[in-house]
Amino acid sequence: MSKVMRWFKSPEWSPYIGGAGLGLLGILALLFTDRLFGASGAFENVAGSIMHVISPALAENMYWKFIMPAGFGFGVMMLIGIFLGSMASALISGTFKLRAVSDDQWVQVFGPSRWKRWGMLFGGAILLEYGAGIAGGCTSGLAISGGVQLAPAAFLFMAGMFISGIITAMILYGKRY
Amino acid sequence: MTALLPALIVGFAFGWILQKSRLTQYAKIVNVFRFTDTAVLKFILTSIVVGAGGIYLLKDMGLVALTGTTPTYIVGNLLGGLIFGAGMAGAGF
Repeated sequence: MSKVMRWFKSPEWSPYIGGAGLGLLGILALLFTDRLFGASGAFENVAGSIMHVISPALAENMYWKFIMPAGFGFGVMMLIGIFLGSMASALISGTFKLRAVSDDQWVQVFGPSRWKRWGMLFGGAILLEYGAGIAGGCTSGLAISGGVQLAPAAFLFMAGMFISGIITAMILYGKRY
Repeated sequence: MTALLPALIVGFAFGWILQKSRLTQYAKIVNVFRFTDTAVLKFILTSIVVGAGGIYLLKDMGLVALTGTTPTYIVGNLLGGLIFGAGMAGAGF
């Protein structure tokens, strides 16, 4: 039993275990909730709700009316769950840390400036949400949720993601690639 | 509110698995694009193999229905993926 507990608390699981676990979770989620995963859409739902307060006229446009309805629904609740679950996992495995610059590798390549990191995070996140909006989902909402249902869109999305991800990493890393 | 509890539970397990697989780390995400750490690929492809196997089994048994996935729209899916990948390599998530 202590072996199981030690594994449960270990800071890193094999990606095969993690992936298999996520596959099983997807099966259970579809069986019991008729839905699969999603993370990026929730930001648009919340943005719609905020728009209703700031500018009700804008919130009535096609996008929030039909594509991404405003409100705190299934997606937002799942996003809160993702935050709590990853935090619980980090706390229990003892890897929880508050940091301004996230990563050793980042510091080695781009230096310790926190504004550079935060700027890149913000810019990258805008591209992520914009790309996910055009494609119809993000890594979880399209690549995995679509992939397990063998939707062609998921595999087209992943192809695009890897093509530009590799090129962007080459450009950013330059000689260090 | 009770209708949303399953969403919270699924999200909690999802976040737990992502954190345990260290996919919340900048280096894990970027290094798959540098071919120095393929954990992201192993993770995504394993989840698709396991998930697709189970879901199609249950579908053939008549226990689940597919969610009516994102429609195939080659330009949109691919272009969205291209923009998404650039952000992913820059931000690392």
